[in-house]
Amino acid sequence: MPVTIPSNPFEFESIRILLKAAILIILVLYAIFALVVVRQVNLMSQTLITKVSPVLKALSLLNVGFAVGLIVLVWGIL
Amino acid sequence: MFSSYIENPTNCRFEGQDPDEKIFLLLRAHPITNLGWITAAIVIFFVPFIAARFLPIFNLDLETIPQTFEILFLIVNYLVVLIIVFEGFLQWYFNVIIVTEKNIVDVDFHSLLFKNIDMAPLRNVEDTSSSMGGILQSIFHYGDVFIQTAGTSKNIDLLDVPRPHHVADFILDLTHNIHSKGGNHASHHPV
Repeated sequence: MPVTIPSNPFEFESIRILLKAAILIILVLYAIFALVVVRQVNLMSQTLITKVSPVLKALSLLNVGFAVGLIVLVWGIL
Repeated sequence: MFSSYIENPTNCRFEGQDPDEKIFLLLRAHPITNLGWITAAIVIFFVPFIAARFLPIFNLDLETIPQTFEILFLIVNYLVVLIIVFEGFLQWYFNVIIVTEKNIVDVDFHSLLFKNIDMAPLRNVEDTSSSMGGILQSIFHYGDVFIQTAGTSKNIDLLDVPRPHHVADFILDLTHNIHSKGGNHASHHPV
């Protein structure tokens, strides 16, 4: 019985799982990095206190929220 | 607020500032020094558009990639752009040099979590020199200021600051005022 090999690599289940794992690892690393950035912004804001500091803190926290939300989303849709 | 040369800045304080200590000058690297990360961010921003054009050359068809993966590749790409812009801005905005009526404070954040603060009392300043060279520095009028301090105090180098000759002159005038008056108030400002 002839075996048909799909020409599109995305048709392989193993490749899809591998890609999903790779994307999730990247996003987890990004989330960790985003947490480090929050700490960094706090450290910087304590050193130089300006009006912009609260905005930057809020942005860094938003970034963490976005990173975590993206992990949940990728886990769900892939 | 986002300037790189601010005289008598208001609404700005730094860690370790005395309650009566007045800030005369706040310096950052000239905005043009941000060109590196801005260029990188712009190039990465356009990578998906460029990749879509070049995929057929490598016998890859965009139609074969599932849409969810396409969207995720786009999101990861723009996350990289986002973090380059955010980190670039943070590094520029918080790496400052502050000249107060008592000290020169050089705040450096080298990497993600490495902080270095050099502080030199103005009365220890012995000599200042400034240099400006190269195409970009000449066009945009920025350069380096080197401050030599007495004794075992660490010399302070202010790199890529705007108006380097004025800054060097300003710091030296403050030092002279402190030495001549024996006090801590200086009133001269660069023109």
